[in-house]
Order: sequence, then C-alpha cells, then structure tokens
Amino acid sequence: MFALPEKESRAPSTCPGPASTQDLDSNCGDGLERECSRKPDQKLPELYGVGDPTAGFSSNSSHLSSRGGIIKWFWDSAEAGYRTYHMDEYDEDKNPSGIINLGTSENKLCFDLLSKRLSQSDMLRVEPALLQYPDWRGHLFLREEVARFLSFYCKSPVPLQAENVVVLNGCASVFSALATVLCEVGEAFLIPAPYYGAITQHVCLYGNVRLVSVYLDSEVTGPDTRPFQLTVEKLEMALQGANSQGIKVKGLILINPQNPLGDIYSPAELQNFLEFAKRHELHVMVDEVYMLSVFEESVGYRSVLSLERLPDPQRTHVMWATSKDFGMSGLRFGTLYTENRDVATAVASLCRYHGLSGLVQHQMAQLLRDRDWINQVYLPENHARLKAAHTYVAGELRALGIPFLSRGAGFFIWADLRKYLPEGSFEEERRLWRRFLDHKVLVSFGKAFECKEPGWFRLVFSDKAHRLCLGMQRVRQVLEGKSQVAEDPPACQTQEPRDRHR
Amino acid sequence: MDETRDGEGSSQPVEAKTKAQGMSHQSDVLPCDQLRDQVIGNQSSHTQLMETLLHLRQTVDDCITQLTTRPPQLDLPLEEQRHNQATGEQEAFLRRVVNLLQSGAMWGLGLQAPRPTLGPRDDAGGGQQAQLSRQLDQLVHQLSHLEVAFVSHDLSNRGIDISAFERSKFQDFKTYQGDKYHEDKNTMGFINLGVSENKLCTDLMTERLSRSDMNHLEDALLQYSDQRGQPFLREEVARFLTYYCKSPARLDPENVVVLSGCCSVFSALATVLCDPGEALLTPTPFFGGLVMGSYLYSKVELMPVHLDSEITDGSARPFQLTVDKLEQALLEATLKGKKVRGLLLINPQNPLGDVYSRDSLEEYLEFAKRYNLHVIIDELYMLSVFDDSVTFHSVLSMESLPDPNRTHMIWGTSKDFGISGFRFGALYTHNKEVASAVSSFGFLNGISGITQYKLCRLLQDREWIDKVYLPTNHSRLKAAHRYITNKLKALKIPFLNRGSGLYVWMNLKEYLQPCTFEEELLLHHRFLGNKLILSPGKTYMCKEPGWFRLIFSDKPLPLKLAMHRFYEVLAEQKRDLRVKQLEDPQKE
Repeated sequence: MFALPEKESRAPSTCPGPASTQDLDSNCGDGLERECSRKPDQKLPELYGVGDPTAGFSSNSSHLSSRGGIIKWFWDSAEAGYRTYHMDEYDEDKNPSGIINLGTSENKLCFDLLSKRLSQSDMLRVEPALLQYPDWRGHLFLREEVARFLSFYCKSPVPLQAENVVVLNGCASVFSALATVLCEVGEAFLIPAPYYGAITQHVCLYGNVRLVSVYLDSEVTGPDTRPFQLTVEKLEMALQGANSQGIKVKGLILINPQNPLGDIYSPAELQNFLEFAKRHELHVMVDEVYMLSVFEESVGYRSVLSLERLPDPQRTHVMWATSKDFGMSGLRFGTLYTENRDVATAVASLCRYHGLSGLVQHQMAQLLRDRDWINQVYLPENHARLKAAHTYVAGELRALGIPFLSRGAGFFIWADLRKYLPEGSFEEERRLWRRFLDHKVLVSFGKAFECKEPGWFRLVFSDKAHRLCLGMQRVRQVLEGKSQVAEDPPACQTQEPRDRHR
Repeated sequence: MDETRDGEGSSQPVEAKTKAQGMSHQSDVLPCDQLRDQVIGNQSSHTQLMETLLHLRQTVDDCITQLTTRPPQLDLPLEEQRHNQATGEQEAFLRRVVNLLQSGAMWGLGLQAPRPTLGPRDDAGGGQQAQLSRQLDQLVHQLSHLEVAFVSHDLSNRGIDISAFERSKFQDFKTYQGDKYHEDKNTMGFINLGVSENKLCTDLMTERLSRSDMNHLEDALLQYSDQRGQPFLREEVARFLTYYCKSPARLDPENVVVLSGCCSVFSALATVLCDPGEALLTPTPFFGGLVMGSYLYSKVELMPVHLDSEITDGSARPFQLTVDKLEQALLEATLKGKKVRGLLLINPQNPLGDVYSRDSLEEYLEFAKRYNLHVIIDELYMLSVFDDSVTFHSVLSMESLPDPNRTHMIWGTSKDFGISGFRFGALYTHNKEVASAVSSFGFLNGISGITQYKLCRLLQDREWIDKVYLPTNHSRLKAAHRYITNKLKALKIPFLNRGSGLYVWMNLKEYLQPCTFEEELLLHHRFLGNKLILSPGKTYMCKEPGWFRLIFSDKPLPLKLAMHRFYEVLAEQKRDLRVKQLEDPQKE
C-alpha cells in the first residue's frame, strides 16, 4: 500500500523499492532511531500518506551525529540524478552530446532581459550601510518595496505593510523557518500530492517536520472536476487519517500556481481550503512562487492576498520569491508575508542563518520598484516566450499521443506516460526515467513529487529553443523505442547507466 | 562568528540561554509554560481564560513584590533600563505574563471589560478588578512597547523560544536604530562599541566593490548552483586559505563549503556533528552569539571551560587555556551526564584577543583526539592581527593535524574585510562526510550567485589585499587601538593588550562595589544611560564580574566621543562609590 513509508513497503531486499532514485542499496531494518517514527499499516485507502523522508536511509558514521547521518543521506540521494547531469552537462559548442536538463524548474528564457536590467547603473550602488549588519528581517527599503510590489501584483484590496514582510535567502528558507517556528519536532503539515518534492527536505533538515500527502487522483470523478483536483473532502480525510495515526498536523501547504500540475486554484476553492484550515486551526502556507508566470491570461489567477477577507489572517502565511517569476533561482531572494507578528518575529530571528547580502537587497529593491520595465518589457516578453515554448512542447506531446496537464501557468507540463509502463509500477517509472537520462535528457518522475500513480513525469519547457528541441527529440527517441521498456528484466539494484538502448 | 548587530552587550542573559537550551519544554518548570498550555488549550472558553488571567494577575503582583525586594541579577534589554532593578527570571517571567495577557487581548478577550463569570480565584469585587486591570495596563505600558507576544498560540514551543530570544535584542536594536549616533544628524545618539564590526575601511571596500569587474553577470550566476557553493568561489577560497593560512600543502576546493555567514556554517556543523542536547566544550569568556548559533536551530549546548584572569602555576598569562582545564571541564560535563561531541575554539580569540601559540594549538588538538572530540575552530579574525610582533598560526598551517577528520575550520569575510552585510562564511574540512552533510544546507543557507562572484573577485585580488587593504586596515586598527589603550592607561584601567581583533577586554572591577554581576549590570546600564553601548563580561560567560569588551574599530570621531562618555560614566560611578563608602560606615 502506497500510503506507507517506503521502507515497509519494500520487499525484503531483492529489488529496490519505489524510491530507488534515492536508495543506494539500503540495509533496511537497522536499529537507527528516528524522531519521525513510523506507524503500522492502518489498512486505509490511499487517501493520504505520512512522509518519512528518511525511510530509505541507513548509515553509520563515526563522525556524524545520527541526524547528521540522515542529513548527509539527503545530500547523497538528492545528488544522484543531478550529479550525473552536472558531470555531463549539455553545451552547444563544448558538449553537444551532453545531458539536456528538462528536470530543474528554472526559467532560462529571459536572461538577456535580466542581465541588461541588472547591469544598469542604479543596480551597482555600494554604500557602507549595505556592507554592515542589516536588520535581520531585511533592509527596510527592501521590505517597503516588497510590500508595494505584492500589493500591486497580488491585487491586494488594502496596501500591504512592510512590517509584515520578512526577507530571506529563498523560499526554501521560508519553509524551513516556518516549519521550525510553527511545529514541534515530529509534527506535520498537510500537502496535496503531487507536490514539489524538495519541500520535504526543507521542512525536515532543521525543523524535523513531516509532510502528510493528500493524494489526488488523475481520474475525473464528476462533471465539474478536473484531474488531480483538490477538494475539502480530501483534506478532511487526510487530516483525519493523520490524526488517527497520532500525528499532530499543524498546517496546510498550498502551492498556487501548483507545481508540478501547473494548476491554479479558483478564489472559491482557495476560500474553501482556507475555511477548512480555519475550522481545524491549521496554519496555511501559500507558496505563490509562480504567480507572475501565468502566461495564459484567460486562466484568471488570484493570489490569496487578493481575497477580500482572509478567514484566518493570523494563520495565513504567504511566500513569494524572484527565483521563478524573474528567472533568478541563483539569486536566493525569497520573502514571507504574514500578518502574524509573532510568526514574523520568530522567522526574523532565524534570518541570521538565512540572510541576503545588502548589495543584493539593494538590487532587488531596484528591480521590484521598476514597474515600467516589469510591465512593459519583462512580463510581456517573458509570457510570450513561455507560451511559445509551451506550445512547442505541448505539440510534441500531442504528436506522440501523450496526455498531459497544463493550464498555462508555471514552467512545466505534467505528462502521463502510463502507457509506457505495462505493469504500472514505480520501478518501471524509475527505469523509464533512467532511460531518459541514458539518452541524455533529464526529466523528473512522479515519485519525486509523491504522486501516488506511477507513470507521470514533469517536463520543464522554459528553456531556449535549441536545447528544448534537442531535449524533446531525445524524449521522443526514448518513447518510440518503448517496447524495450517492458522487456527489461527487473533491476536488482540501482546501477550504472546501461547503454544498450542508444 | 558573526555577531548580531544589536549588541550582545545588552542581550538576554547567557545563563537564561543556557538554561533554555538545557531544558525541553516538557521539563521546563517555569509556571508560565504551564499557564501558556492551559491558556492555549482553552482558547475557546472565556470563563477559563478569565480564570487564568486572574491567576496571572496574582502572579504578576507576586512578581512585583519580589522584584522590589530582590537585588538584580541578570542582564536586561536596553528599553527597560528604568526597570533595571527588575531582573532575572522574574523579570523574564513577568514579561511573558504580560505578553500572555496581551495575546489574550489579541484574541478579542479584552482585559478591561468586567466579566460576569469569574473564576474561583476571584475574590475581588468588580471595582478592584477594574483597578487591577488598570495597573496591568500601566505595567504593560511601562514594561515595553511590545510588538510581539512572547507567548503565542500560533508558535511552537521552540518558536516561542526563538522569538523570546530575539525579542529583547530586537527591542534593543530598535532603540539603538531609532537613536543612532550620526556625526551630523544625531551627535547625541547611541554609539555602539558593542557590536564587533570593522568600520575603519568602508572607504576602501566601497571603492573596490564599485569597480567594474565586480558587476559581471552570466546566466550561471542567476541559476541554481552547486549546493556547496559555486565551484569558482570554492576554488578561490581554497587558494586564499592556502596562502593566508600558510598551509603546507595546497588546500582542496572539494573540502570547502560556503554558506550564508559563519553563523550558518556553525549552525549546520553543530547540527551534523551533535544530536539535540549534546554539547561542545568551549573556553570562556567567549563570544556569546555562538550560543545562539548553536541553539536556535540545532539545540546543541555549549559547556564552558572557565578561564581565570589570575596567573596560576599552569599558566603564563591571564585567561590562559590549558589542557588541564579542558580535561577538568570534560570530566565535569561527563559527570553531569552530558555527551560532549567536540571542542570549539576561537582563534584569534573573541573577546580576549588572544592568539594561540603553535604548541598550545597542538596540545588542544591532541587533547581532542584523545577523546575523539571534533574540533571546530573559528578563525574569523585571522587577518585582523594588526600587531606585527604577534604571529598567528592557523590550524591549516600545521604540518600534520592530529585528527584531520575531526578538525573543521570556519572563516568568513565579515570581520577581516569589514563586510558583515555580505553574509558569507566558509567551512574547510578534510572530512568528506561532514562536508557533504553540511552541503545539504546549501539551499537553506545559500548565497546569491552575484554575491559569490563579487566575493571571488575580492579574494582573488591579492595585489589589492596585500598592498592596499591589509596594510591600511592594520595601520588604522593599530591607531584606533593605540588611541583607546592610551585612554585606558590614563584612566589606570587594566586591559589585555593583544594586538589582534577589533576589541579590547578590560577590567572595570575597581568600579564595582561589591564586585558582583549585579553591579556589572548596573554599570552597563549606566553606560547605556549615557548613550554608550559596551558588552559586559557576563555576556561572554566570564566567571569573574567586572570585565567589559569594547570595540575600537570605529571612526576617530565617534570613538573620541565614546571615550568621553566612557570617562563621564566612570567618574560619576566613582563619585557614587565614594558616597556609598561614606554612607556604609555611618549605617553601621
């Protein structure tokens, strides 16, 4: 049953479990104690799953603490695919047969615009105050700018306050800090799955907080529904399930626009989810990191900050960053907006670990202030490029007869490759992923997003045309040679790439 | 280590920190925790809440009675100077209580309105209750301009701890920020000689950072990078440390991890080396910001190795660290049931300014090896040794490390380049496991690609560093140090004259009568009253009252004014002491 942590669902040791991306051969059953202890099988339907990010972990190190060992394992496992990619990165001139990355959600379409803007003279100011210790919440000039920016782009009915803004080095840090200040060790957040899997690590590393997946179905069940639709009923069931296992749930994480589905929540849906949270006194963390990457205008995206009235403003915390919307994941700028002063102060005190250089803070303030450039240059161009890239990849998938989800937001398409998995197992899913990698294209498989149905893949399309075309060409090659997938003998353990399909 | 900008001098008591670290909330016996639980558990019930509030009022009254009858013990936030007799646990408790009341008010359960249903504790009539409410309001008003509540129904226990820890500092900072000295605009403002920042070379840094080579931009800088840090920066850090630490062999970029500040490095390191509740030994006095670094996220404790100002048999100079003392502290910790995982050394030492000799360093490392202890060595001030006669030995300069897999070095640009606002710290460790584990924090404690590029350019520019920056920085540090120490000599104030770091560790024992931490605190507040921020020894877990740290790396003008205020306070203090001496015998 999939709701279970991997370690228990894994057969005694012959073949790797569903999470075999991450398991580098595990001697399961070692007596390592974890703070996130696992509960026995409850024989419930697959409505939810209690995450145990360390399930596949086993190690003993004479030098690390036990949590240090787990943390290192995170590093080792997360690196597996990424490392292969980094060792053989595609480069048009130097390494044309290198790996194309359609796996990392980055927008590489607008570097020209950004680099031009960031090189203008207003960006380059250096002054002593920027070189010294800042207010840990972030320089006031930046927090004021963030408040104005969010008021405008989130269409807030009232002006947002700089006092409610905390600036950190990326949304990963916002998750980490929020988890720490809202939960005790071992407590949990609900999160609709599939979801951006790295959050698991963000809330666990320092905070030791778990995620309870609210499993969504690809099946459409009624006339007004869509695949993977989140409903209050599903939230209720998952919460109940977690409670019945003795897990204390402290909050709900919503990603809107959603990653990896590219879905967005209607204001009515949002309102319902917020009401649900209020009923159960849950915090809601709304990750709106793709809010300006809605490239289909017809979609009608609404930020949670645009709602006339929040059901529980003291427990509603919004995060945004420039990583996605401004294609600057390497800049490490993220921000929290919360009316709850306790939460803001507590997060701010953790900012000594999540600080951002004063010079970069200055640049961000300049960038966010420049509405003319954003509205007249950057956003229209960015959306047009995203749309074009999306149209291309969508067309390619249609030509292959591959169903997919995408509603015109985000950088990715959630593709249904189930027809290429005869047995419909996660192991096949992983093998298909491996085959993509062997064919020099890196994509992400559904298991990494805690999707409960094997066979879904996320393809990132926000890359330059030449790389995208080559990437899709390789995807096609793999899928057209699909018959071999089923004939592969079950792998006994994670191995070096096999090259015979090339 | 990076220090908080708000002046550890006026921070919350270290004792309280240590205590908070040591206790989980289950075992935390502070009554307010129980009350908090009680209140939080019964949010829905006005009746029970009122009961609790009334109980709290009782407690507040008790506290006030105690406060007026007890001498102060511990440190206080700046803002509460006028309540400087209110101290210690009671004071903290009182604040929590008041905050609890405030959060009660925040839930819309106003304190003012008399409630028809009163709990059994309420033996007061409506009028008296209203009066009590007014008193409470006054109290709330007097105690602070609270922005946040210590006790929150939204935060986890650890969140409350984190918040509580920050709050006093935050208030300090706000006071200081709101009334900061400025040479034209606010000459009457606070001069901060409490935060260890080097402000002497901002002209050089500003000029260097404004040069065009700093503004390069390429797509890789805006994209996700290797979590350990951009390869170009790690390579440069390895080259830089090889050169400036005089490493016998070239250092390996694979052993470098860069994170957002040394606090982050230390926090990540403490987390991967120790489980919650485990401990690191550290010689004291030492820079207290690390306590926080080890505590907020990682819940790792620090066990002090107390050093003496007296020169004894085993030592040649004041506050000397010896292996005997390490052995003893380790034994004591073990007897207390503490699992000690490592030893934390700061070299050049903060606040002493001491530099360990090669032999001493070797001995400490050997000691650690004997007990399989990790050694975390913080060399944040390594290039701030401004006295040519002092030779600094980096741990990376040693021919062979006794236990290379357990030796981890931290360095950053905050102090040596006076750019604490850059948020850059680096770890150098031979232990691949430790490096990998710390790298997992690369997302949570990452540095902007643009910043990484600038840092790389800065560290690369040896010519500028060696010919322009370091000589100028050292001569300015030297001049500022000379200025301050001459003043201290004229005042006949003993101090450690060490020639490294940004601070002087001085002994104001003579101005304390009796020589207690209470008096130290009072003197500290006297400085604050005269708009001068210094750091009292208690903050450094110094076991002898009367020591203060003074930062001298500020511009001549504020420094001069600061010393004037310093002198005024001491003169005033001396007058008071004389009066006190006169009065005392009369009493008898």
